[in-house]
Amino acid sequence: MSNDVVLEVKNLKTHFISSKGIAKAVDGVDFVLRKGETLGIVGESGCGKSMTSLSILRLIPSPPGKIVDGEVLLNGKNLVTMPNAELRKIRGNRISMIFQEPMTSLNPVIPVGEQIAEALRLHQGLSKKAAWAKSVEMIGLVGIPSPEKRAKQEPFQLSGGMRQRVMIAMALACTPEVLIADEPTTALDVTIQAQILEIMKDLQRKIGMGIIFITHDLGVVAEMCDQVAVMYAGQIVEHQNTAELFKNPLHPYTQGLIGSLPKLYEDQDELQIIEGTVPSPYDYPEGCRFAERCPFARSICSEKQPDLIQYDEESKVRCWKYTNEWQVSLTKELVTT
Amino acid sequence: MIFFILKRLMQIVPVILGVTLVVFLIMQMVPGDSAVILAGEGASKETVEELREDLGLNKPLHEQYFSYIGNIFQGDLGHSLKNNQPVLEEIMIRLPITMELAFFSILITVVLGLIAGIISAVKPYSFSDIGVMLVALLGISLPSFWLGLLLMYIFSIKLQWLPVAGWDSMAHIVLPAITLGAGGAAIVARMTRSSMLEVVGQDYIRTARAKGLKEHVIIYKHALRNALIPVITVVGLQFGGLLGGTVLVESVFAINGLGRMIVDSIRTRDIPMVQGGVLVASLVFVFVNLLVDTLYRVFNKRIDLN
Amino acid sequence: MTVNTSIVETADLMLARRQVRREKRKSFYSSIGQNKAAVVGGIIILLYISMTLLAPVLAPYDPYTINLQEKLQSPSFAHWMGTDDKGRDILSRILYGSRLSLGVGFSSVFFGAFFGILLGLIAGYYGKWVDTIISRSLDVMLAFPGILLALAIISALGPSLINVTIAVGVFSIPLFARIVRGSTMEVKQLEYIDAIRTLGANDFIIIFRHIFPNILSPIIVQGSMRLATAILSAAGLSFLGLGAQPPSPEWGAMLSSGRDFIFSAPYMAIFPGIMISILVLGFNLFGDGLRDALDPRMKK
Repeated sequence: MSNDVVLEVKNLKTHFISSKGIAKAVDGVDFVLRKGETLGIVGESGCGKSMTSLSILRLIPSPPGKIVDGEVLLNGKNLVTMPNAELRKIRGNRISMIFQEPMTSLNPVIPVGEQIAEALRLHQGLSKKAAWAKSVEMIGLVGIPSPEKRAKQEPFQLSGGMRQRVMIAMALACTPEVLIADEPTTALDVTIQAQILEIMKDLQRKIGMGIIFITHDLGVVAEMCDQVAVMYAGQIVEHQNTAELFKNPLHPYTQGLIGSLPKLYEDQDELQIIEGTVPSPYDYPEGCRFAERCPFARSICSEKQPDLIQYDEESKVRCWKYTNEWQVSLTKELVTT
Repeated sequence: MIFFILKRLMQIVPVILGVTLVVFLIMQMVPGDSAVILAGEGASKETVEELREDLGLNKPLHEQYFSYIGNIFQGDLGHSLKNNQPVLEEIMIRLPITMELAFFSILITVVLGLIAGIISAVKPYSFSDIGVMLVALLGISLPSFWLGLLLMYIFSIKLQWLPVAGWDSMAHIVLPAITLGAGGAAIVARMTRSSMLEVVGQDYIRTARAKGLKEHVIIYKHALRNALIPVITVVGLQFGGLLGGTVLVESVFAINGLGRMIVDSIRTRDIPMVQGGVLVASLVFVFVNLLVDTLYRVFNKRIDLN
Repeated sequence: MTVNTSIVETADLMLARRQVRREKRKSFYSSIGQNKAAVVGGIIILLYISMTLLAPVLAPYDPYTINLQEKLQSPSFAHWMGTDDKGRDILSRILYGSRLSLGVGFSSVFFGAFFGILLGLIAGYYGKWVDTIISRSLDVMLAFPGILLALAIISALGPSLINVTIAVGVFSIPLFARIVRGSTMEVKQLEYIDAIRTLGANDFIIIFRHIFPNILSPIIVQGSMRLATAILSAAGLSFLGLGAQPPSPEWGAMLSSGRDFIFSAPYMAIFPGIMISILVLGFNLFGDGLRDALDPRMKK
């Protein structure tokens, strides 16, 4: 089983240092990604999911951002400490990224075909002609009609959906082992969103890559992901396989997220919302970071931070509720009152 | 594109008419009787009256203006009061010199400005960046005529590397072109830097980085092309100040260009020469602006969308 | 009743607007204070202004007295900046000349700002054909390259420092007008302007009492930048012999006479040039700092 692991992230910490203080955007994230598997990372905006994905390829703006601790292992090799020249051979080649904003993520003055071809020339040593041919082929593969013509066009001549397809073509051109997709469909409308997701799944089957899928949309998670990691305030608070997560969410935050989903076939009086706001990354509380908003919080929750513990063989959760301490503190409270 | 150029050409017609009107009106502000001035000192009363009749100076102002415009379109800018030579003839001798000076100056503005701006932007807040930006700040603060004198003193008088004044060889061009181009270069450098820094923060630069491209490819292929677009406009705007600046620089280096002709004519109160010189320089500026607009358009096709 | 509510609402809107203005001003001053460039620029400008005031106290000699026995002396303890071709002390002349050079700069910018602001307010507030006429006229004025419009005006009015002030001022009009026009059109759309109008305020009150205070900041930035250019242009025109005439100690004129002695007595041209450069540098630094303080988007 562990032989299949392509990417392993261990205790990753990315902090932003500015005059306002230190923002702990990513604060000890662990996960593994297996071959051919899709791992969803979900959470509200600002929870650190995008920063986690950017940290993997060391793409966080620096300064002010800095990876202060942890490892990112691609087939056992640590990307965090790797020299830049070596890392560049991995970027766009063995690990690729798709970004949230198709409108601004393509260079506006370079033909899209060239933007794909340059990665092919760089990583696969293809000739100019061969790279262009492959680039056109990729554009066709992601379902853009008349790819020869489109390849020569600049991004402003393409629709948003087409641009995101070009981004996918670009990311997959060198058949990467890992694809990181950071909210790839958020900016698109629903029908195009479905098409793009279909293309991604299809290409995953062909290439067999692992996908890290970052989103705040649980509907998309249900459709795309095998495993889900839920992030809150820079940390993973729950990690389960998708079916289990929806059936039996462990963390109160996950329960809140799923509870806030509108259900099609159920008669709901109102949507549940999670009260309160996310704590500032400059100043996290001492105890559990969700304690302030948590309906189950007890005294222990605001005193000590819980660890991400193994709930069962496949699931992990960061919550006092599932620990022995919880029982202890419960009895303590009963005794004192 | 052709449609765009035609449209812009149509738009500059009223501007050109306006320019002629302003020049015409300013010359009406010259105190005293134009006919007396034009006839020259010691002219008899009859000569003055004859001249008034000939030039239509007794006609109403608007008729005078229309005939002035009519003459301009026939290439008649009047005659010099000093030697009665046609103004246009004199301008045609002087203009190429000024254009040559302007060309080399803009070359220095662009080349020096871009290089300095890129050096700054590649490593923002480094010593090289701060150094370049301090020099650029000096560049926009030094009076060109003083910089000219200073360069002349250092390179022509002390070091004797370059000729002091005149306009005979390439060596003569160097100092005036640097003098005239320096201010613009400073502005272009500042603009290039801020434009580059803005572009470097864009999403598509992150995409390029995620692709594994080398840093210099990211800077020169992906960032610079986008950063140059606003710089083009700045260069165009510089051209106006530069044309005006030829007046000063030609004076400093004793170059017989259009600018010096205008200044000398003001001193000798040769009104038609001043009028013609200012008019031609302004027309050149208007057409250069049209050119810059068109270039901007070519470089920035996305304008169509916005 | 409805009238009363609308008055109360309008008053609220006005108060809110004033509050916004006050807060903006507060953050503006604090960010200027933090901006080193603006502080340095401001100090330079203050030094120059005190120089104009203290010239008679500071100047060791009379700036006009000709003393041919002491002509063209290099800088020494007796004459820190040397003497000119007529034996006058250059330092004293520079100290007195500061009044002329700064005076021309400030008056021409005031002149240009006054008419420019007026035109910009009218064009921006009334819009339609009024705007079209004003805007097209401004385009025409901007079609003259650099100081050529100033040259044309001087050729008609004749060379003198006052005419240089007017000519350089005219050249500033379109630049102020354009900025004011744009800002006026923005402010005009604010909700509370409508409210005031329904209460019966006339155009004059709306324009000067309510719009003008809201668009001051871009005017101030433009003013500082224009001062730098105006001082350069005025000095340049005097350098060409079209402004201040000898024996005036205006810096451009001093440079002009120094030019003839560039071989033998370069200090005659060097010192006035340094004085102009530092002053212009001061205004540029200050203007840059102001712009950054007013427009945080420009700051990186």
